[in-house]
Amino acid sequence: MKKIIVTGILAFVALATQAQKKIEYVEYDLPNGIHVIIHEEHATPIVAVSILYHVGSKNEIAERTGFAHFFEHLLFEGSANIGRGEYSELVEKNGGTLNANTSQDRTYYYEILPSNQLELGLWLESERLLHAKVDNTGIETQRSVVKEEKRQRVDNQPYASFITEMFKRMFTVHPYNWVPIGSMEHLDAAQEEDYVNFYKTFYVPSNATLSIAGDLNVDETKKWIEKYFASMPKGQAINLLRDFENLSDDDFFKRYSVAKSKFDAKDFMNSKSPEAKRLIGMYSNKAIEIPRPQKDSEKLTGIIKDVVYDNIQLPAIFMGYKFPAQTHPDTYALEMMNEVLSGGTSSRINKTIVEKKEMATFAFSFNYGLEDAGVGIMAAIAAQGINLDDIQKEFDLQIEMMKNELISQEEFEKVRNQFENNLVSSNSSIAGVAENLADNHVYYGSASRVNNQLENYMKVTREDIQRVAKLYFTQDARVILHYLPKEK
Amino acid sequence: MKKLIIITGLILPTLLFGQLDRSIRPTPAKAPTINIKDSEVFTTANGITVILSENHKLPRVSFALSMGSDPRIEGAKAGMSDMSGSLILSGTTNRTKDQLDNEKDYIGASIDASKSSISLSCLTKHMDKGLTLMSDVLMNANFPESEFERIKKQNESGLLSAKSDPGTMAQNAESKVNFPNHPYGEVMTEATLANITREDVVNYYKSTFTPKGSYLVIVGDITKAQATKLVEQYFSSWAGIEPYKMESGDGQFNKGNRVIFVKKPGAVQSVVQVSFPMKIRTGEPNQLPLNVLNGILGGGGFGTRLMQNLREDKAYTYGCYSSLNVTEDGSWMSIGGNFRNDITDSAITQILFEVDNIANGFVKDDELNLTKSSMAGGFARSLESPQTIARFALNIIKNNLAKDYYQTYLKRLEAINKEDVLTMAQTYLTAKNCNIVVVGNEEIVERLKQFDADGKIEFLDAYGEEMKEVKKADITKEELITKYVLAVTQTTSMKAAQKKMKKIKSYEEKTDLSMSQVPFPLKSTKVWVSPSTEAQKLEGQGMVFQKSFFDGTAGSSTNMQTGKKDLTAEEIASKKKAFGLFPEMNYSTSGMTYEIVGIETLNNSDVYVLKLNDGSTESFDYYDTKTFMKLKSLSINKDGEEVTESSSLFSDYKEVNGLLFPHTVTISMGEMGFTGNVTSIVVNGKIDLSIYK
Repeated sequence: MKKIIVTGILAFVALATQAQKKIEYVEYDLPNGIHVIIHEEHATPIVAVSILYHVGSKNEIAERTGFAHFFEHLLFEGSANIGRGEYSELVEKNGGTLNANTSQDRTYYYEILPSNQLELGLWLESERLLHAKVDNTGIETQRSVVKEEKRQRVDNQPYASFITEMFKRMFTVHPYNWVPIGSMEHLDAAQEEDYVNFYKTFYVPSNATLSIAGDLNVDETKKWIEKYFASMPKGQAINLLRDFENLSDDDFFKRYSVAKSKFDAKDFMNSKSPEAKRLIGMYSNKAIEIPRPQKDSEKLTGIIKDVVYDNIQLPAIFMGYKFPAQTHPDTYALEMMNEVLSGGTSSRINKTIVEKKEMATFAFSFNYGLEDAGVGIMAAIAAQGINLDDIQKEFDLQIEMMKNELISQEEFEKVRNQFENNLVSSNSSIAGVAENLADNHVYYGSASRVNNQLENYMKVTREDIQRVAKLYFTQDARVILHYLPKEK
Repeated sequence: MKKLIIITGLILPTLLFGQLDRSIRPTPAKAPTINIKDSEVFTTANGITVILSENHKLPRVSFALSMGSDPRIEGAKAGMSDMSGSLILSGTTNRTKDQLDNEKDYIGASIDASKSSISLSCLTKHMDKGLTLMSDVLMNANFPESEFERIKKQNESGLLSAKSDPGTMAQNAESKVNFPNHPYGEVMTEATLANITREDVVNYYKSTFTPKGSYLVIVGDITKAQATKLVEQYFSSWAGIEPYKMESGDGQFNKGNRVIFVKKPGAVQSVVQVSFPMKIRTGEPNQLPLNVLNGILGGGGFGTRLMQNLREDKAYTYGCYSSLNVTEDGSWMSIGGNFRNDITDSAITQILFEVDNIANGFVKDDELNLTKSSMAGGFARSLESPQTIARFALNIIKNNLAKDYYQTYLKRLEAINKEDVLTMAQTYLTAKNCNIVVVGNEEIVERLKQFDADGKIEFLDAYGEEMKEVKKADITKEELITKYVLAVTQTTSMKAAQKKMKKIKSYEEKTDLSMSQVPFPLKSTKVWVSPSTEAQKLEGQGMVFQKSFFDGTAGSSTNMQTGKKDLTAEEIASKKKAFGLFPEMNYSTSGMTYEIVGIETLNNSDVYVLKLNDGSTESFDYYDTKTFMKLKSLSINKDGEEVTESSSLFSDYKEVNGLLFPHTVTISMGEMGFTGNVTSIVVNGKIDLSIYK
């Protein structure tokens, strides 16, 4: 009897994973702590070179918010060997593109290059990690760029502050309290020294995952990685080298009591003098402690209801629930539940609240999943003359249905099909593969999760969806925000 | 987690790169060869050429069916084929549009259609269901009347905004002059749109969507056996007539430069497009070196010759680009940008100089190499999309290209040298036989004559149609005003009109406005109280977005976003010049500056053009020469450098209390277009002015 069940499940899993092709890769750690992932695939003669730094806004201190995102900008300013503005020029001139992004949990940089330029990509990223330009000229330039970005993306966008407002109330202890764009006052108040320290703390080999995918030869790639990355000092020695390159003779001596002249500028790590050897040895063995916040354990204890006035024309409602961290097994069921509620025009929320009852011009729900916690958000922009409380009642009705009844078999099939389609598409580009591998390594402790993501979703049952609805839609503990037009 | 780490990584010898000189930049390895797999090609009994490109990287598949008919000349029904394309997915004899959408979403597929193609993309395991839908659309599309009307309306509002967009105006003129009597020279206008019937659209579909000569490109995770079987199953019953064939020709080549001017009243910037057709078709050997030439001249980026000269050096513009268009039915090059009025002529001089200059000597190694590397990179990256491979396969078959045409792309690109680039420039480029299209302010016309070979500038309208010359008006401005007033008041003398108007104490007009960009209806209310009080509000969704009030001496305007503001002295002065229910009656005493410009045509009617200036805004009113009704009003609003145009078209004049008022108003403001239907007009009713303050 038991055997049959097992084979039954296996057959089911085999069927379910049929659509997902296995992604092969090799991974290893360099002695200085850089984690390397290489995916070889020759379909297209291009390569994606990326580094994920495990630093996001949650690693900031409350008085210096916006730093992680600011660095995403600052680190295009150049390095000891790359001139200002030369990063993008070098990449474009060689037929590539580049970009970067920052979340609460990570900062991610990448280039997509013709495959014969892989070495260039590795050199560019190694320069950024080893000795990027972190100085006042760059800081000044990027301050104004970031302010412009905030004006464009947050301040001038109606309702765009809802994440900020929601997270502020949802997390009073955890640094998810603020969002990546952070505070412009903090950026203004910070001194060059603050920026240098941030770089020295978080932009270090042991906090970096180098993920490379595309038309490459693994052995040759490894040799280049040895050349540009394994040669980087380990532990605090990297900051010793950075100080050697940046500080004046006097300042260096003041800090280390050893003259710069004792070091070999051309071959720093192999400096011959006993003083230099001693310092290098000592700092190499000194690990860099990367400050990370404690996981969120704060519970919402009641209903927090607030009004936010914004430059908008139509009122809106945003409701937030505490969902588990993205690594929690319930996440799969929660995401599928959201798809039933809000995936596509035929979803429940769209059909009822928007189309049939015409209560909202736009309504949706989604799971904001992060490393230390998640937030389930339901939102609607009200239609003419509709009271926000009435929309909330309708949302609550949908939540009750989700809790009290199993979703229909047809809805279940549709959602499974949609997830399968999405997952297949998520690995259609080598840039996407490099990013997925890095994310899974950093957040889930295993890059191999890319190969069983679909399986995880397909294991979810209709009963699971009902169970997580009951567990996480806590009607007596949630945040409810009403967005109203500013009085003129 | 640590256990997963692959051992080989750790035992790799730690090479001593101590001496690594980081300032040395890596040099690229040998350029990669492109691996574009050969495609399988087979034909079906009903005449479809099937091109199969297997790609098992992901379990997805796409079927792209494109028709073998040549584009056709639609003349008085220009735009018909596009209308047909946008209606194909509106339902079939077996499925309503809603059913079609639902079934498609259920399998997570996408289905698209255009005037000559239908395509499907889905997971391989859903391809049977996907093809069921795709073939149903292909063979049984039924073009519901309601959808036809909806799409037609959509096109009407599209034309409205296109008419005030200088870029589109330039585009229209350019296609017309380079490709007269050619499918590329066809531009949809209000008149041609009105001519299109549902039957036309159905007939177009029937005669174009026919198996003979069509191409079905299948890309993705599918085997040849599967593909053969599916093609048989879903497409063998597809029948139709012979495809439409027509040799389009290369376009019209000039002898000497032609200057074509499109008037844009009040413009502070001109759109300039210098263009000429080229005798080359897709896949000819010269296409690639021509692309390199275009890249150096102005094909993109900051380093091109046009950008360096006109932006970096002379600061004439934010951007000046050249674009090369090589197609199966005709090819052309177009060079241009936006330039301030006062330097428009200088910019044209420089553009012509660069076109001429690149044919006068070798390009520099730097510029050649930069362009070649960035083209190689772009090509390589584009290969990641299976759709690119599909396009390549199709091009090879359609244009009889060598089987390895794209396989050798990078090699051929690499081999292109300075000599090749010069030969291309000398063969195809011309600075002496161009069409110079300028959309802009009429005041610069004189300075453009120098560029025209015969010194005669041609004038085209917004759609590229020949502009009838402005005829001199046969009446004076005073006579025009009188005729208009008599017409709207339905009287026979000014005295009688004034007497009639004395009895009119108030007026209230309510209009429903619909606008494609706003998902909810807007309502506008306008009131007037004798002699010179006027007010207005605009509301929707239970909110008042805008309101304004003026009592003849002072007033205010209130905007939901920016709040309430008192009218400035300047605004009051302007308003005083246009008071009254029919402000025309007061022009002679209110201080309005007005003059009659002449007679133009507007939607096939002759109209008198009256130019007005109230001291801050210039505007134009258009009166029918036969009925004397006001058909259009256009005002030019300047805010510093920025100029926006707003126009209103008036129609459907109906009588209310013995006076004629338009009941349909079509308003366009920049990119936005509204259609307004007057729902009520009340004369001499009670009016509460307080709600407007």
